[in-house]
Amino acid sequence: MGILGVYLRKIYTLFRGEVLVLPSRIVVFLFFLVLLFLPVVTQDLYLLRILILTSIFAILAASWDLLSGYTGQMNFGHALFFGVGAYTAALLNLHAHIPPYGSIPLGGLAAVLAGLVIGIPCLRLRGTYLALTTLAFPIILMGIVFAIPGITGGELGVSGLSRLSSSRLYDYYITVVLMLGLCTIMWKITDSKTGIIFHAIREDELAVRTSGINVTRYKLLAFSLSGFFAGISGGLYAHFMRIAGPSTLEVSMSFTVVIWAVFGGIVTIYGPVGAVFILFPLLEFFRFWPEFRMLLFAVVILLILLYMPNGILPWVRDKIEKECPRCKVRNVATRKTCRVCVAPLD
Amino acid sequence: MGQAFLEIDGLFKDFGGLRAVDNVSFSMNRDQILGLIGPNGAGKTTLVRLITGILRPDSGSIRFKGKNVIGLKTWDIINLGIACTFQNMRPFRRLPIIANVMVSCLCPRAMKRGEWVKRVEAKALDALEFAGISDMSLEKASTLSQGDLKRLEVARAIATEPELLILDEPFGGLSPAETDLMAKSIKRLHKGGRFGRLHSEGPAMIIIEHKLQQLMKIVDRIIVLNYGIIIADGTPEEVVNDKEVVESYLGEGGI
Ligand SMILES: Nc1ncnc2c1ncn2[C@@H]1O[C@H](COP(=O)(O)OP(=O)(O)OP(=O)(O)O)[C@@H](O)[C@H]1O
Ligand SMILES: [Mg+2]
Repeated sequence: MGILGVYLRKIYTLFRGEVLVLPSRIVVFLFFLVLLFLPVVTQDLYLLRILILTSIFAILAASWDLLSGYTGQMNFGHALFFGVGAYTAALLNLHAHIPPYGSIPLGGLAAVLAGLVIGIPCLRLRGTYLALTTLAFPIILMGIVFAIPGITGGELGVSGLSRLSSSRLYDYYITVVLMLGLCTIMWKITDSKTGIIFHAIREDELAVRTSGINVTRYKLLAFSLSGFFAGISGGLYAHFMRIAGPSTLEVSMSFTVVIWAVFGGIVTIYGPVGAVFILFPLLEFFRFWPEFRMLLFAVVILLILLYMPNGILPWVRDKIEKECPRCKVRNVATRKTCRVCVAPLD
Repeated sequence: MGQAFLEIDGLFKDFGGLRAVDNVSFSMNRDQILGLIGPNGAGKTTLVRLITGILRPDSGSIRFKGKNVIGLKTWDIINLGIACTFQNMRPFRRLPIIANVMVSCLCPRAMKRGEWVKRVEAKALDALEFAGISDMSLEKASTLSQGDLKRLEVARAIATEPELLILDEPFGGLSPAETDLMAKSIKRLHKGGRFGRLHSEGPAMIIIEHKLQQLMKIVDRIIVLNYGIIIADGTPEEVVNDKEVVESYLGEGGI
């Protein structure tokens, strides 16, 4: 009892000091909690399916933010990484009989290669030119897919893959835990020293060069990391749907990722994740009015972006929290003084 | 005496039809503070950009500590020990000031040198302290005034622990009192030593400046550029009395 009691108390103190002090942290905590314990309440197959797909796309949207939000390398062809991850996992599974726990990481690695392949020609490009060039890559790959139907299955895709796991419940836990883990890792990266350099590259590349930083290396690192996470999500998708088809490479897929990220708030990681968890189920919900589905969807996004140009999650966060003008620590909006330096919050 | 510290020979740079740097040759020693002056558009900034590899010269050679730097990437040149500031400040606006300096502290050169300083933040803070803006370290760079941005530029440059520091108009936008303070800091830095956890080699310096009175107090040699050509090179006294310099830049009133 003694030892356990001490540890429990320690954990509780930590929890109170680190999580309960800020509404945004409580929300994140609840988000973890609800996702991890939802199956205790319901194991509705349809609901789990929606949440599995949502988790997969949340990884994808966060990986876009890592590259385009943080590092400023505007990628309008993010579907490339998703497709490369999906096709690699599918082909390895089908022909080499590699189980999902091997084929999905290998799909991620293949997407790292794809990241380097598009990263290198994109090193010299910026802004609109970069966006247009990146847009082309998944289209090129789609051309290749259609050109060698013997291997890729052409329009039909590669089907008949092994299941992610033996049941929907396991599928759920695999994807949700991976999503929570990978997004935490991405957030940690952006919060690290590497993240500062990524951010600085977005602000002013020349000034990063004159700070003695090898910009080429860091840009390629951003492309590779982003490719890896997107590739994992592609592999997960292929195994969950048991098919990797050309739809994973479509232009609309690339744009959807951008829409998610911008809607949720770029340069945050949590923004795109939250956005997918709002928008993907919402789109499913709008199926009740099939003829208006896309229209409703577009209206929601336009309204949000019109009134919350920085994305919905940062907007909400700014409403419930404010930054201390002196020490820059965030506080609950209702507080009168900063919780750390007790400076008055205007 | 061995090879010169910085040796520039027959440097040319054209922009379309405009010759911005025209057959510039000079060399400087490890212990010098060199003032680089000249009218607007004389090619001073362009010369700096050639040295730091941001631009590539059409012809000529630049040797730093005996090593040819032409064709090297800018970050490699910085890591050899040259640092520069931008005349028209280029901070990372949406990053806190401390993070602006941390980027410089994270370059391989600075990381190698500060082995006993594991904390990059601490070192960045000392660079800010030196420049006199450490109290604002958590503010976003976009909130800084012109003068403070100048100081941020200086803090970023010295954080790489250079042996040659090139300052492009460090006094621009500063009030007379601030200018004096900055001049003092520059002199202190040149003497070398420790500033908190930041180590100064006592870098050689090239200072570009239009505020000649203050500049004269710091430098021990001045080079005057006009239309990309070096028209004078000598001690401050020699240069202010040079006929051509007076005609093309100083005017009859002198400084
Ligand atoms: N990237 C460029 N492309 C074309 N012309 C340029 C470029 N950079 C500089 N110039 C021109 O080269 C000439 C020298 O410019 P530079 O900026 O080196 O002058 P400067 O001596 O630094 O002047 P100032 O005292 O105003 O800073 C100017 O006529 C300028 O217009
Ligand atoms: Mg200039």
